[in-house]
Amino acid sequence: VDPHAEPERGGDEQVGGPGHEHRRRQGGLQDVLKTNLGPKGTIKMLVGGAGDIKLTKDGNTLLKEMQIQNPTAIMIARTAVAQDDTSGDGTTSTVLFIGELMKMSERCIEEGTHPRFLVDGFEVAKKATLEFLETFKTPVVIGDQPDREILKMVARTTLRTKLYEGLADQLTDIVVNAVLCIRQSDQPIDLFMVEIMHMRHKFDVDTRLIEGLVLDHGSRHPDMKRRAENCYILTANVSLEYEKSEINAGFFYSNAEQREKMVTAERRQVDERVQKIIELKNKVCAGTDKNFVVINQKGIDPPSLDLLARAGIIALRRAKRRNMERLVLACGGEAINSVEGMTEDCLGWAGLVYEHVLGEEKYTFVENVKNPHSCTILIKGPNDHTIAQIKDAVRDGLRSVKNTVEDEAVVLGAGAFEMAARKHLIDNVKKTVKGRAQLGVGAFADALLVIPKTLAENSGLDTQDVIVSLENEHDRGLVVGLNHNTGEPVDPEMEGIYDNYSVKRQIVNSGPIIASQLLLVDEVIRAGRNMRKPT
Amino acid sequence: RQQLVAPPRSPREATGEMREVVTVQVGGFANFVGSHFWNFQDELLGLADDPAADAAFRTAPLDMDVLYRTGETLQGVSTYCPRLVSVGSRGSLGSLSSSGAPSLSSAASDQLNVTTWSGNVTRSVEKPHGRNLFLQSLTEQEPNPSTSNGGNNSQKSVEDKDLVECLEKDVNFWTDYTKVQYHPQSLYEMYGSWTDFDKFDNFGTAREVVSEWSLMEEMNEKLRFFVEECDHIQGIQFIVDDSGGFSSIAATYLENIADDYTNTPVLLYCVRDPVTHGSSRNQRDTITRSLHDAVSLSKLSSFCSLMVPIGLPSLSQSSLSPFLSIQDAKPFHSSAISAAAIHSVTVPFRLQNAGPASNIAHSSGNIDMRELVHIISDQGRQNMVTALDVAMPAPSLKDGNDLWNMKSLRTLTPEISDEEEDPYSVESLVVHGVLRAGGHRASISQVKDSVYSAYEGRATKPKFSHLSVSPCPLPIPLPFPSIFRSHIGQHGEILSNHAEGTQPKGSLDVESIPMAARLRSSNAVLPFIERRSLSLQKFGVARGSLGTQILRDWGFGREEMEDMSEHLSKMVRAFHPEGGLTSDSD
Repeated sequence: VDPHAEPERGGDEQVGGPGHEHRRRQGGLQDVLKTNLGPKGTIKMLVGGAGDIKLTKDGNTLLKEMQIQNPTAIMIARTAVAQDDTSGDGTTSTVLFIGELMKMSERCIEEGTHPRFLVDGFEVAKKATLEFLETFKTPVVIGDQPDREILKMVARTTLRTKLYEGLADQLTDIVVNAVLCIRQSDQPIDLFMVEIMHMRHKFDVDTRLIEGLVLDHGSRHPDMKRRAENCYILTANVSLEYEKSEINAGFFYSNAEQREKMVTAERRQVDERVQKIIELKNKVCAGTDKNFVVINQKGIDPPSLDLLARAGIIALRRAKRRNMERLVLACGGEAINSVEGMTEDCLGWAGLVYEHVLGEEKYTFVENVKNPHSCTILIKGPNDHTIAQIKDAVRDGLRSVKNTVEDEAVVLGAGAFEMAARKHLIDNVKKTVKGRAQLGVGAFADALLVIPKTLAENSGLDTQDVIVSLENEHDRGLVVGLNHNTGEPVDPEMEGIYDNYSVKRQIVNSGPIIASQLLLVDEVIRAGRNMRKPT
Repeated sequence: RQQLVAPPRSPREATGEMREVVTVQVGGFANFVGSHFWNFQDELLGLADDPAADAAFRTAPLDMDVLYRTGETLQGVSTYCPRLVSVGSRGSLGSLSSSGAPSLSSAASDQLNVTTWSGNVTRSVEKPHGRNLFLQSLTEQEPNPSTSNGGNNSQKSVEDKDLVECLEKDVNFWTDYTKVQYHPQSLYEMYGSWTDFDKFDNFGTAREVVSEWSLMEEMNEKLRFFVEECDHIQGIQFIVDDSGGFSSIAATYLENIADDYTNTPVLLYCVRDPVTHGSSRNQRDTITRSLHDAVSLSKLSSFCSLMVPIGLPSLSQSSLSPFLSIQDAKPFHSSAISAAAIHSVTVPFRLQNAGPASNIAHSSGNIDMRELVHIISDQGRQNMVTALDVAMPAPSLKDGNDLWNMKSLRTLTPEISDEEEDPYSVESLVVHGVLRAGGHRASISQVKDSVYSAYEGRATKPKFSHLSVSPCPLPIPLPFPSIFRSHIGQHGEILSNHAEGTQPKGSLDVESIPMAARLRSSNAVLPFIERRSLSLQKFGVARGSLGTQILRDWGFGREEMEDMSEHLSKMVRAFHPEGGLTSDSD
């Protein structure tokens, strides 16, 4: 069957001269991803052969959409995507950086430099840049009361590269609050505890944070309440349906009467389980205005639903596995696997539980919970591709906040770090290196400029003007980045433009590794070719 | 000890409840099969309401709610769609969008606004897949119901002829001949990063895809949507194209299903396109194929209740060829046979009882999936690999006290022995829509009598056998391939006076086909299992063997290799009396 053709022709088909294959071929990827970068980048709408639409400005997503054939490009793409997997962002920057390193190397090699020197220079430059990053980064004190403002600035910086300003700013508070909600002291942040739900809505693009949980199903009994306040929540993984057990399947009955007996006996076991739940409900709710909600991972069959409904209990079945964990974090209590020995301590609590129906789709909101450690981001959008794109952006935003909390540091953005690092390499590092490896350090330093250059280019600015004016400021000892609206130097600290420390660190780390590998492989190929030459 | 077992009463009878089946299709050929399967169901739905249709269809003997669900769109339009999750590689949906709707025109996508970004937008639009004549005719019908039925008949049949012809020539995707409206949750396209689905040809190639967390999660969520709304799910029927990487995807999917729906039986059909049996180019290929087959069997059988391998290396050369003229190179052809057989197996799951009083007339032998699994795999040997045999068309009953021709059942399961004589075999036979001499539908009791006496007449009787009978034959929908030989009549009867060598007949000449299908657990399947068990030992587990590296590349450590090997050995041992049977007292 027909493989999805390349949505964007990545130029992988370019045929380089003998020996330059790797260096040439990756140019295509870079060109495709380049326009992604920054708040002035271009969004891509990919329409498939069956009319399926995908909207993305994310390097990671775009790379996955492309049917890349060329092995070099695949290698670069894998590195870039691995980058995304570990730090949640920076795919585009990684590809650009590798591309630029290769481009800079190309020049040196054409002038007769052996790739080995470049690789040695890269190694020195990488180490120096990572050390420089340690001094350049802005520490963030996290502690019990993290600096909400700085978290918001990081989130905003990320979101504004994916969504237009108004929408990005609306989401900024949401993602920061979501991460702070699920954060528990002394535990790593598990972003899975933020449920991301969506609803299709005619015109609305709206996103909100629910401190609590939204489930994508409702109760399956007409007499159960659709809205209840002051609810005990029982999170259960107990089968409340009659399943004919294997041994008792049809075959062994000598007569219908005997069979009927077995059926009744098994039914009774299920009923007893339901009865235990009802007893607990009566114990905790009797004489109060409190309600009781059962959210079960296993099935609940109609007779059981009937019994529960008659006892005034709201019951949901087949909740997704991960929601069991989330429910307990959101509402408290514990997830029970057996109805034996249940006590009030097993129960969680929600101030409000209500159902929302959209066509055949039902949603159950579990809200107003006490001290939640799980929450839901609910995205409304007019169509699937809009929802999907907002979802991607929300994930990126969440990652950026999580990274900041875990890094306890951020890095000035808008190209400021790259400008400063380059200056450091040229002024302080290059001269410490002996011989031709200096060229490698220089190439590395220049390659860093691809970030501010691309930001400028995407904003329709003259890249050379921009680089010159940024360099001048840095020479004067000012740490500045690019104002993408005016093209003027700007203090990222004033503008609140911050990037993730771990993302930057990874880009600096992985870029030269791949570039070095490609250079050395090229060299081997070239050597092989020369040996086989008939002359 | 050898006995014919009276049909057990299903819980349906005990409680009067409909019991749902959810269908899962994974992989290219599985979706080809599924497409035909759902076309049969869609045809049944149409015929039930058609006053001109055969009475066998109008009495609605099959409960469609078992396979279908009632729903409603966001706009409030009510829908009736299969309870189905279909998983395929990206691009495999052809001109159907994954939301189940026909695709958007490229002009329409140009009009779309991007509401989330104020900056530049670039559009990259793939060439849309064309909709063939048949698909066009489906959408044309709806807004234009006014075509009068008076003198238009001749013209209409010309049009239908064109549609049938177009399908014979122009089927690239399984969606090219589907006439069913799918639910937006049903279709799932896999987006594996840089996975070349063309080379997705062995268990190892899917490693990367399976390890992508979000992908399995999305597949699980789609299935949960359909299972959650079931009040009394009887089981999941799972069709997998296990010839390549989808086998691995299905194995992971099945494992999740076993975790999430612990007591729900899963009936697994492993279907293969005849073309996948191509000869290997070199030794490495041969070993890779053998290991793939072995690993697939081991992994897939670990997480299902009953496994039915379907897929002869050639259907055109098979014992079905006296009646059917199948082109092996066309998945459109070969998948139709598997679909028909699977349809027959599902018949007992949805036989309706109109109430105790009229019970006799309508059907006999309804069982649910759990009971079927129990009959086949828990009686006699503990063997869950089952052969599927089919009679397509099933022979008519002759007048008088006659034995139904058991020999008309031809197997669709590859690599099994012809050994019929196994006193420990367990069978479930479904016979539906069978005719009497003279072209009348045979009554339930006539069929039962005839089949029972045929069983009595067998030299070695199976240990257990179960029979289900329904008067409702297999309907032949328009988009069914033209594969019937010229001596097959309009109702699937075998004509004695026919002209040789004429064109194969299709849906325009043949309305329905009487069918029989049999699931059989017997020592005939032993070679199938043994071969895989041996190849895993020979190529994989033995130290220093060629295949060890291949298995390692697929991500299997030594311990896991040994576990798989042991699992297969255990399956083989079930056939050896000292290993499996305890009641060998005769």
